[in-house]
Amino acid sequence: MRIRVTYLGRSYQQAASLPEDFELPSEATVKDALAAVNSALDEHPLPESCLVTIAGEHLGSITSYTDRPLQEGDELMLIAPVAGG
Amino acid sequence: MTDDRNSHHPTLAEPLQLTPEELERYDRQLGPGVLSEAGQLRLKQATALVTRVGGMGGPAAQMLAMAGVGTVIIAHGGEMISPDLNRQVLGSEQVLGKPRAPEFAAYLRTMNRLIEVEAVDHEPDDEEARRLARRCDIVLSCPPTFTERLRLNRAAVEAGIPLIDAAQWGMTGTLIVVKPGETACLQCVYPVEPPFEELFPVVGAISCATGALAALEAVKILSGTGDPLFGQLLTYDGFVGRPSVVKLRRNPSCPVCAHC
Repeated sequence: MRIRVTYLGRSYQQAASLPEDFELPSEATVKDALAAVNSALDEHPLPESCLVTIAGEHLGSITSYTDRPLQEGDELMLIAPVAGG
Repeated sequence: MTDDRNSHHPTLAEPLQLTPEELERYDRQLGPGVLSEAGQLRLKQATALVTRVGGMGGPAAQMLAMAGVGTVIIAHGGEMISPDLNRQVLGSEQVLGKPRAPEFAAYLRTMNRLIEVEAVDHEPDDEEARRLARRCDIVLSCPPTFTERLRLNRAAVEAGIPLIDAAQWGMTGTLIVVKPGETACLQCVYPVEPPFEELFPVVGAISCATGALAALEAVKILSGTGDPLFGQLLTYDGFVGRPSVVKLRRNPSCPVCAHC
């Protein structure tokens, strides 16, 4: 199955080398997708407080999220926390 | 120190209605698709806390003041420095080296003498945040640290008032709109405090856009107009020009809001 991965927030430029789409096994879950993303980001792993969302639903953060099966065409959005001022 | 010199706020003896001058001032935001006169009157009776008033809080406070929110309280410590001027719209080169809060409040008063502006010249601690929140109808959280953001969240949840958290990085802006007891709060979203990044990169245009959207949400909530983004995270990735909205989940064991 093919899903789209979008990275937002702090240090978004570190994800510039990520492919937009990831090919995953048909039974893959969010956990599998995050492992694939982290593998592609081996020099800059996702921050622990990064939010994990799938198809517009918030699942938690990298350290604590609700795993769920993925569907063809899902968008996994990873949002590194930002503050600024 | 709190500066509350402005004296144009109506007293209890005055009738609770819009004056002819107010009706003229707010004429372009009254009518179909914008605010009703009753909504404008609710703004007049409302108090909003904005902390801090830099890149996002500055334009947010300015839009609240210009929209006619009756009392705008701004909190920000320190003095204005040159790197602020790529995004902080409440000051100018003439304010460099001067304390931000009183100078910014003076500027806001020049934008609307029909409202009251109070300046707090430091960042509130836990107790002061609670005290300020109890006086307010809404809190706009725009500081650079998650310590302050989570503090404001606790104060707003305890006071039972909405909180709008505005944040930015680079060319990205985000908004989270919290309705205590009904939606996820900031602590639900960030159960572990994310690290502080002091010298974050930012383009002023995204600061202003994010602050203005925070003010728009506040105006909607305070006036009872439109559909606020309660319980949602709005992001705008300005680097590629893409908006997104995510529905946030509430943490049933959140130490801040679980028992609201």
